[in-house]
Amino acid sequence: MPAPGRPDGADGPPDAVDTGTGTDLPEAAGRRLESGSFSSGLTVPDFAACLQMGLRPVALVQGFCVMQWGWYGAGSPYSRGLSPYAFGSGGAPRGVYSESYSCPHGGMVYSNEHRIWGQNYQQPWVEEAWAEGFGSAYSRLVEEAGAVGAHGVIGVVDSTRHLADMNVTEFHILGTAVVVEDAAPAPGATPWTTYLAGQRLAKLVEAGYMPVSVVAALSSVRVWAYCVTEMLMEGRPLSTFGGGGYMPVAEVEQLSRAHLAARSLVREHVRGKLGHDTLQGALIVANTQRLAQGDEVIECALRGTRVRRFKDFDPLPPPRPTVRLT
Amino acid sequence: MSGPRPTPGAPSGIDLRAEMRQAAASLGKPAHDAPSRAVTSDLSVDESLLLHSIGWEALDVVFGASLVSVPPFVWTWGSGEITSASEAHNLAVRSAAQHLGAQCTAVGGHGVVGVHVEIEVQRHHVDVELTGTAVRPVKGKDRSSAFVSDLSARDFTLLHNAGWAPVGLAFGASFVYAPRRSAGAAMRQSSQNVELTNFTEAMYAAREAGMEHMQRSALDMGAQGIVAVRVAEGPMWFANHAIGFTAWGTAVRLEAQSHQYLRPEVVLPLDDAVVEFAAQSLR
Amino acid sequence: MTQPQDLPKEAGHRLEELEHGLFTSDLSVNEFLLIKEAGFHPLGFVMGSSIYHTGIQARRWNKSQELTKLTEAMYNARELAMTRMEEEADQLGADGVVGVRLDVNYYEWGRDAAEFIAVGTAVKAEDGVSHRNALGKPFTSDLSGQDFWTIMQTGYVPQGLVMGTCVFHIAHRGLGQALGSMGQNVELPNFTQALYEARELAMTRMQDEANQLGATGIVGVRLEEKSHQWGSHTIEFLSLGTAVTKSAGDVTLPKPITVISLDN
Repeated sequence: MPAPGRPDGADGPPDAVDTGTGTDLPEAAGRRLESGSFSSGLTVPDFAACLQMGLRPVALVQGFCVMQWGWYGAGSPYSRGLSPYAFGSGGAPRGVYSESYSCPHGGMVYSNEHRIWGQNYQQPWVEEAWAEGFGSAYSRLVEEAGAVGAHGVIGVVDSTRHLADMNVTEFHILGTAVVVEDAAPAPGATPWTTYLAGQRLAKLVEAGYMPVSVVAALSSVRVWAYCVTEMLMEGRPLSTFGGGGYMPVAEVEQLSRAHLAARSLVREHVRGKLGHDTLQGALIVANTQRLAQGDEVIECALRGTRVRRFKDFDPLPPPRPTVRLT
Repeated sequence: MSGPRPTPGAPSGIDLRAEMRQAAASLGKPAHDAPSRAVTSDLSVDESLLLHSIGWEALDVVFGASLVSVPPFVWTWGSGEITSASEAHNLAVRSAAQHLGAQCTAVGGHGVVGVHVEIEVQRHHVDVELTGTAVRPVKGKDRSSAFVSDLSARDFTLLHNAGWAPVGLAFGASFVYAPRRSAGAAMRQSSQNVELTNFTEAMYAAREAGMEHMQRSALDMGAQGIVAVRVAEGPMWFANHAIGFTAWGTAVRLEAQSHQYLRPEVVLPLDDAVVEFAAQSLR
Repeated sequence: MTQPQDLPKEAGHRLEELEHGLFTSDLSVNEFLLIKEAGFHPLGFVMGSSIYHTGIQARRWNKSQELTKLTEAMYNARELAMTRMEEEADQLGADGVVGVRLDVNYYEWGRDAAEFIAVGTAVKAEDGVSHRNALGKPFTSDLSGQDFWTIMQTGYVPQGLVMGTCVFHIAHRGLGQALGSMGQNVELPNFTQALYEARELAMTRMQDEANQLGATGIVGVRLEEKSHQWGSHTIEFLSLGTAVTKSAGDVTLPKPITVISLDN
């Protein structure tokens, strides 16, 4: 029985990374892609619709990347990542989001735990690591597609799985590589990619848009709560012994702004990858991790297909309303 | 294979294969009629086409978020309405909708459609997150205020063709304590089939207060009605004796002279329902 | 039949606002437009509810029988809820209520108590002609907006939501009986008889209600079975439908087009 991790029958150490041949795809991938028959993750209706459009599936292609989260920012320009004074009272470097909050209670220290200072800050080291992981997986997908001579990849599915106790995230991206029949790709062009397939892709093309690539980005905002936020979120009174009263119904401004910032940041990250094109079918997934004392980490992922207009089309006539007798 | 073949089943007049070839070839050239600012949109292709058919366009995905605190001890069993919880909820929705509207006007939109509403009521706070797409008539002028609506782009188009326009999100919430019964009353009622009138009144109080707030918010916007009202009620997971009731919908107004009738046709489909196993394509 | 109860005072203020012209509805946009096509306009979201304590009724372990006290309780509870909903609709001057939903909620803090809710959208004809039912009250129907439009095209008009209920206890089988039929494929005549009887009772009562409204027939009949909080040997059979009458109007339903949709 072959040792785990080695392709069947092969000798020598498993070569997940082989820089000798100029590619870092696993050896097994190469064998699969050369085998001649195609496999495809498309459903039957999607498969039929693709053939109608003149797209011939050639192979199921995928890319994979496992990233380790180092001790946040250690050795990096952001080396104070874990400390509450992540960017100090001077704020973040230019282009990085941060907002500071100071205790409004007149400087009196009510207790040792009264947090007189707080900050919302973007965590670019997290965002960059995610971008690197997704980007590596994506470029491997595109490489596999190129190796089979495909023009594009449709029906892309991507997933990220976080193995928390090992501080590791795996990025997996999968799609069906296709060839546009009776057409030659421009020399040196990389395969185009899209999350869409089948009917939805056909409608997009009929509407005058061509998919360019899938686009995904992550934003990460850490909230280091100050006294007001902590009291509002934990229901604590102003002083340890209940003096000073409880806060009334009030907007928790620090958190509202952090949630808004996380979403705005991810939108800007994605916009930076669009050039003059449009993002279609945007899907935002926000994940808030509530820590103690009102602290939070908010991560937003935004995915969509970058599309480019290639022609005008007349607006559709208003559709006919119908009532079904079923 | 040489030359384009007619594609059976394709809508008349469109050769899909030629379209696809033309589309793929266009990647080497600059974009046709590119927007000056990259557009992000969470509408599906169908919805974008429907919007386009009434002369509107999508501009950007926009967000609103608001967290509002609930004072402690309000969930301890008392009687009547829990006013601070209702206040917190209504403030959170209003604030989030305001942020959403502000983002919309900032990009030149006239309104936000397809708003996805997420409301979480926790022991010490209410969290409201709204996401939607800012839209406007193609090349329309900027406006100072925008409507917010949870109507899908499809429903927005339907109403538009019928002469109605959304004016905003109407919402209301209220929280009450379940009333207690005295031990004597409980014993008396245990063997009878009888209405529990004080419970009934408490539930009515909650519902009516919530619905009234929703109605008033619509009237304040100058609306004539609220459609697609969604109603949710139930006990709080962290305090079983406190019942929350929320209602929201889109406030609308008749913009045309009168309601435009649609005259639907009646169809009899001959296909059976298809069972689809998804390849998880995005929308 | 119970006497109609007064609505709690909280309901009054909200309904006044609706009378001044604002309409609310939980109809989808599709349903809203079809209601308009049928010549009606929505007035407001109406609801009625009642929290009812369902008492204990003694039952013989080995006898199949209707538990009349519980039947009465379930019936009264729903009637209270429906009547309050009709009163709200009446106050708005409605011709009827469409999209009626009857729900039951259980709360942990009320043992043996359940909340019965009836909700719907009150509508009024735009031609000014009264479309109320034979008893002069707003009609109720659990028809969706689409079904309401379709039935109006056929020349039938809804009269009211009719229901019949029967709470039945199914006898437990003795040990001897169970052993006697173990391993065989055989009909159990006692159970068959019992369940037949229960359903027939529910449906007959529903038809009686329809007759009281002077209806020609009942459409969309649904038979629901619930054990509520009583355990699996006690079942409530609820039969629900919309009673309709042939009106003087012609059938205006156009001939349907047959289609095969190519997308899914």
